[in-house]
Amino acid sequence: MPVEIPKEKWPGSVLTVTLGALPSEGGTRKRVVTVGGETTLPFLHFEGEIPNPPVVAIEIKDRKPDDWSPLLLEAWKDVIDDPAQWAAAAEAAGADLIVLALSLTNRNGEPTTPEEAVANVKAVLGATGLPLIVLGPGQAEVDNTLLVAVSEATKGERLALGICEDKNYRTIVATAMANGHLVIARTPMDVNLAKQLNILISDMGLPLNCILMDPTTGALGYGIEYGYSVMERLRLAALQGDKMTQLPMIVTPGFEAWKAKESKVGEGVPKAWGDWLSRAINWETLTALTLIEAGADIVVLRHPESVKRVKAAIEELMAAKTLVS
Amino acid sequence: MALTGIQIYKLLPQTNCKECGFPTCLAFAMKLAAKQVELSACPYVSEEAKAQLEESAAPPIRLITLKSNGYEVKAGNEVVMFRHEKTFYNKPGLFVKLQSSALEEEVKSLAKRIHDYCVNYVGIELQVDGFAVEDDTHQPDKLKATLAAIRSVSNKPVMIFSDYPENLGPALEQLDNEVPLIGCATSDNWEKFADLAKRFKAALAVKADQIETLAELTEKIKGKGVEDLVLVPMGKNLGHELMLQTQLRRLALKANYRPVGYPTLAFCSSQAQMVQAIAKYAGFLVLDAFAEDLLYPLLVLRQNIYTDPQKPIQVQPGLYEINNPQPTDPVLVTTNFSITYFSVANEVESSGYPAHLLVTDAEGMSVLTAWAAGKFDAERIAKAVRAANLEEKITRKRLVLPGAVAVLSGEVEAELPGWEVRVGPREAVDIPKFYKQVLQVN
Amino acid sequence: MSRYIATRAIRGANALVREAELMLKRAIQEKGGNQKVAFPNTAYYLPLIYGMTGIAVEKLEDLVPVIEHAKRLLHPIPAESQWTPYLGEALDCGMATLLAAEAIEAIRFVYGLQPERMPGFTLAGGTSYPELDSPSNGRVGHLNGPIDDIQLRAWGIQLVDGRMPGFAAIIGAAKSNEVAVKIVRELQKRNILCFLSGNVNGRSIIHQLIEEGVELGYDTYTVPFGTDTLSAIYALGFATRSALTFGGLKAGQAREILLYNRERVFAFVLALGEVDDLKYAAAAGAINFGFPVIADTVIPQILPTGITKYEHVVSMPFNEIEGADDLERAERLVQKCIEVRGVKVKITEVDVPVPYGSAFEGEVVRKSDMRVEFGGKYSRCFEYLFMAPLEEVVDGKIEVIGPSYEHVEPQGHMDMGIVVRVAGRNMQEDFEPVLERQIHYFINGASGIQHIGQRDIAWIRISKNAADKGFKLEHFGKILHARYHSDFGAIVDKVQVTIITEPELLQQWLAKARAAYDYRNKRLADLTDDKVDEFYSCTLCQSFAPNHVCIISPERLGLCGAYNWLDCKASYNINPTGPNQPIKLGKVIDPVKGYWTGTNEYAKIGSHGVVQEVAMYSIMENPMTACGCFECIVMLIPEANGVMVVSREDPSMTPAGMTFSTLAGLAGGGLQTPGVMGVGKYFLLSPKFISADGGFKRVVWMSSILKETMAEELKKVAEREGDPDLIEKIADERYVTTVEELLTWLQEHNHPVLTMEPMF
Repeated sequence: MPVEIPKEKWPGSVLTVTLGALPSEGGTRKRVVTVGGETTLPFLHFEGEIPNPPVVAIEIKDRKPDDWSPLLLEAWKDVIDDPAQWAAAAEAAGADLIVLALSLTNRNGEPTTPEEAVANVKAVLGATGLPLIVLGPGQAEVDNTLLVAVSEATKGERLALGICEDKNYRTIVATAMANGHLVIARTPMDVNLAKQLNILISDMGLPLNCILMDPTTGALGYGIEYGYSVMERLRLAALQGDKMTQLPMIVTPGFEAWKAKESKVGEGVPKAWGDWLSRAINWETLTALTLIEAGADIVVLRHPESVKRVKAAIEELMAAKTLVS
Repeated sequence: MALTGIQIYKLLPQTNCKECGFPTCLAFAMKLAAKQVELSACPYVSEEAKAQLEESAAPPIRLITLKSNGYEVKAGNEVVMFRHEKTFYNKPGLFVKLQSSALEEEVKSLAKRIHDYCVNYVGIELQVDGFAVEDDTHQPDKLKATLAAIRSVSNKPVMIFSDYPENLGPALEQLDNEVPLIGCATSDNWEKFADLAKRFKAALAVKADQIETLAELTEKIKGKGVEDLVLVPMGKNLGHELMLQTQLRRLALKANYRPVGYPTLAFCSSQAQMVQAIAKYAGFLVLDAFAEDLLYPLLVLRQNIYTDPQKPIQVQPGLYEINNPQPTDPVLVTTNFSITYFSVANEVESSGYPAHLLVTDAEGMSVLTAWAAGKFDAERIAKAVRAANLEEKITRKRLVLPGAVAVLSGEVEAELPGWEVRVGPREAVDIPKFYKQVLQVN
Repeated sequence: MSRYIATRAIRGANALVREAELMLKRAIQEKGGNQKVAFPNTAYYLPLIYGMTGIAVEKLEDLVPVIEHAKRLLHPIPAESQWTPYLGEALDCGMATLLAAEAIEAIRFVYGLQPERMPGFTLAGGTSYPELDSPSNGRVGHLNGPIDDIQLRAWGIQLVDGRMPGFAAIIGAAKSNEVAVKIVRELQKRNILCFLSGNVNGRSIIHQLIEEGVELGYDTYTVPFGTDTLSAIYALGFATRSALTFGGLKAGQAREILLYNRERVFAFVLALGEVDDLKYAAAAGAINFGFPVIADTVIPQILPTGITKYEHVVSMPFNEIEGADDLERAERLVQKCIEVRGVKVKITEVDVPVPYGSAFEGEVVRKSDMRVEFGGKYSRCFEYLFMAPLEEVVDGKIEVIGPSYEHVEPQGHMDMGIVVRVAGRNMQEDFEPVLERQIHYFINGASGIQHIGQRDIAWIRISKNAADKGFKLEHFGKILHARYHSDFGAIVDKVQVTIITEPELLQQWLAKARAAYDYRNKRLADLTDDKVDEFYSCTLCQSFAPNHVCIISPERLGLCGAYNWLDCKASYNINPTGPNQPIKLGKVIDPVKGYWTGTNEYAKIGSHGVVQEVAMYSIMENPMTACGCFECIVMLIPEANGVMVVSREDPSMTPAGMTFSTLAGLAGGGLQTPGVMGVGKYFLLSPKFISADGGFKRVVWMSSILKETMAEELKKVAEREGDPDLIEKIADERYVTTVEELLTWLQEHNHPVLTMEPMF
């Protein structure tokens, strides 16, 4: 009994964005990472192209973080005081990309200086051949000061700099344009706000293929359903041809999941929550896997075990390509 | 083109008899147009109308209900591909697999643990839905004994799977007035399974690795008079499973292709399979093993994905004490929209500052939305303060309003004499700063 | 362009290109074609030449084709008797001038004539010249010359991200040293970068500032390029490099570089003192970049806008500027420059003696805490905002006419009028009421001040506390000035506030205000759907109902009741990428049901393909969808051949057998359900309310709260519909909660639906 499978022929597609630059392209990376390019919804190989698999980034800090779960500190304990070693360990753990999140203060509690930020970024670039994303501490003025210094000191590397938000994007975009980097545009779980920020950034003259968008997500149990639907809607809009939604999506399930009580707290919790470490890793893994189903192109994780599992899943999702060719 | 509610209304008896469960024929017609009810709910509809309404007559994915003594698990009746288009209705049932090869005592103790498993998420009790028994020894009596062992500790619904339909009889006979799911029927054994399903009024799972095969099988089985079917598309890997599930859902909804208009079931061993099955269209999940640390996040994921986007998850209104507050510590007010609550509670918790967090009943809306809708006003806040008995509990009466509703401060002061009303930050992230700078707590 | 200017610019250009050619010839003879030429510390060669022509000049002989190129751009000087189009010619000559000027400066570098020497002078930060700056050479005093790449990047980022609003190229000399200092200070105050060059009869603004002890250099955002006109070329080299660095443009993309500057670099030329041929030629060059020229002498103006964002050349003879003294004149001159280039100045702080912020919006000032009140029961208070021509509004001017409240006894009252004049290039009369309504929010933000009402029923209280802290009437003006600039800077360029307590004047203005209110009411009433060619979309609610499409027309406000057509129009002008976008109506498909090609197209896009068509005026066919925040639900009652209207505030049972909250499930979610519709309550009063289905006469049942709160308005609607008793014929929840009761009621009250044709 022949059945005609309804196939969607979408007029639009996701843009491809390449992170990192090889020596021949003016950078120092040993490999570059290209994301995006999808012409259909996630992994529907039977009706469109998924030319680039989603990738996994590992988030590291420029120093031992003050507020991370003890489980994470344990997982990275040998390298946590040295961002270069940490980056190398992250690469060994299977990361496709490194995210270096700069801290507000250095290990002595003094405000991080632009020189320190540059030194740490350079050290990380020296320790790994992977493309790099650099995030400011999240306070507009500090972000701008540190990121401008980093951007100028790494001209041509095609780093992704973040976070651009509607209240603070111009400086980061300006320095990215001047030095050949990309930016990450983050908006709080809303399709129209995401579009608007993308318009504002591209209005400044940064080409769309230099922007990654972070639609923001909540962790499992903490609003993931909002992030999930916003991502599905953004991807549908992109495929329907809405230019300002056609950017690859980066999301931070690691940050979100490890903020949740389920991951942070080991004692005094219900027995039904089960073993702490397994639960915490499951929390991060499940959050990430869910977002990949919604169209995430880059997921930023924190625990090496989650990285392993998410990568394995991506491989299996991509493997189906051969079944339809 | 699908008929509108008004067009359908014209074909209905227009008596407003209410027997369908809706107050008027028009309301019923609108639900029918939205494919949320079956035409058969109307006892008086004419044959002529039926014929005209055929397309709107039944939901495109049949509702299947597994039943046992005191329990029900529903799947099907879905109307959209993406939850944001309307909502996903019936949360996929989570069933844990038990094998007939296991020792009876083991089965009993595991089944008991599974039965008792219960975890609280924002005031909702989440539980496992039932058991899937696998005939891995191919022995009817073992199968029967395993089922008996389960029934000695739990009445939750069951699924029974065997490659040999003839093995199922003894097990099924001991089920009293239940609707279990049995299977899986394949091209080789479907007739026997169909007979079995008919005899025991069971729902039947139909398995194949191709959609064409599934469609052929369901048509044949339907021809035998069995209509409560569940599809089991057997993908070769994770990506293939996603494609099959997507194609089945599309055929049912977009092409209104009846032969696959049934809910699906996914056998899951990896976490990725479980996540995907919940997000992408499975009506039932059979989990390989039972582990608390995985079940909890899975149950939460299912709850999240199946939340109606129009009806946000709510937390229990009331007083939440964070970081062991004293009677002199401030009272923070917010609404019972889960995300609002979580942002505030998490921020306060991680800041280390003590607070009495007063969560008001704002019908699950965020602060600004609730304010705009009149569900978060001075009167309601004052009522919540009194309901939580704060007048007595708190010695230093300071009430902090969310910054977004600064406009309420005057009215709240008027409603709550003796309270110092402060306006807090607009965003939860700024709460620690507010404690430090405005409340001058260190 | 003025013929006079064109003639002089063309003449100046011809002379300069000729001069450059001769200089180059001699330099090649003397130094050889291989002699290196470069500006200090830049990777962009001679930046203007590099950007405009793509030629990377490294040696003297590389300049030969540049001069050839400049020569080709030259045009002959227009004959006295002949009128030819000369804008293009003048602009071409301007460009030739710039190329020649940069070539000349480069050659001067070769001869050690640049940077210009200025014995005894030290830069407060500047481009470094090791051979001049080193102590071993005795530290030769010099001006800055071109800006280096490091500084370009630092300032470029600030120009791009908006921290620095723009730059001023000041050429010549001011009327006096005092005026020179004032001009620079005014610009610095606004964070505008100053590039200094040129002279008048040998005296340069650089001399003037040095004499007055003003520090010049990178550190003070005031860069002395050189005392001749040619060094002004460094400003355009800076502009060119900005485009190459931050615009992602390549050398040789002349047009794109010029456009980039026009659109994004807010710069202008301020010509002080007499303007000679060379200055005219250079000015023509600057106009190529979209930089307008403002002169403080009498020159012909070129006002029609086109190449530059606004005017091209503006003459503001210094002595004719209105002002008490030269300093005030200088201030106005700077103000004009900013206006002409459209530089937006940000005001972040509200300068009042009490705390200010949205946290104080809800404060109530009780009678016992009150120092004084305006309006309310015992006095009159009104507020009136109107737009005026740019030149008639003095930005920041705040006047209090009449006595302050000191003489009023505690807890007393007095009359007050707040008159606000606004001006702006993007301002429209239609925005007046939108802006006027903001006064309420703005004033409420001050701690200890309470504002209620609007128009001539405004009511303001000042608390004792605020009065003790020194809150005066003028502070209302300060608040309004600051907030209009910060919140509505996109449409408002100037704000002037007058607070009136003087009784006679107050009466005069009150009369004017009332006339304006009447006019606006009438305007609103006259503003019908067929008088406009665009409606507005509103996507604010799409976060709740992703596929919901709100289309707002003059006669159909948003279903939330919060946004009408004018609000949307203003919102779009303030935030062009925001949630309200114009929908061009296109062709009318059906004027009765309300279909246009434009609205249908938008319905498809806005709903992401879910909704295909929207009928603006029908509930029966493709009605507008709803999110969930509607004020009322309108639903067909098929048995009654009419519709009912349920208010959000009405919890009781309706004849549809459902309460509001149950109905909301049917109406909301962005789904199109014929027979049900969510609306804003004022839409009920519109002549377009379900006009395709029979209009307001179809209403058979309506929540009593609507009847009560809109009694006056509904009465008028009844009259308009030709049935003055219509409202009494409409049932409500006090009498009717079932269909059966409804049908009886309709019979008893002889409701018009009984004789109307069937709805479907």
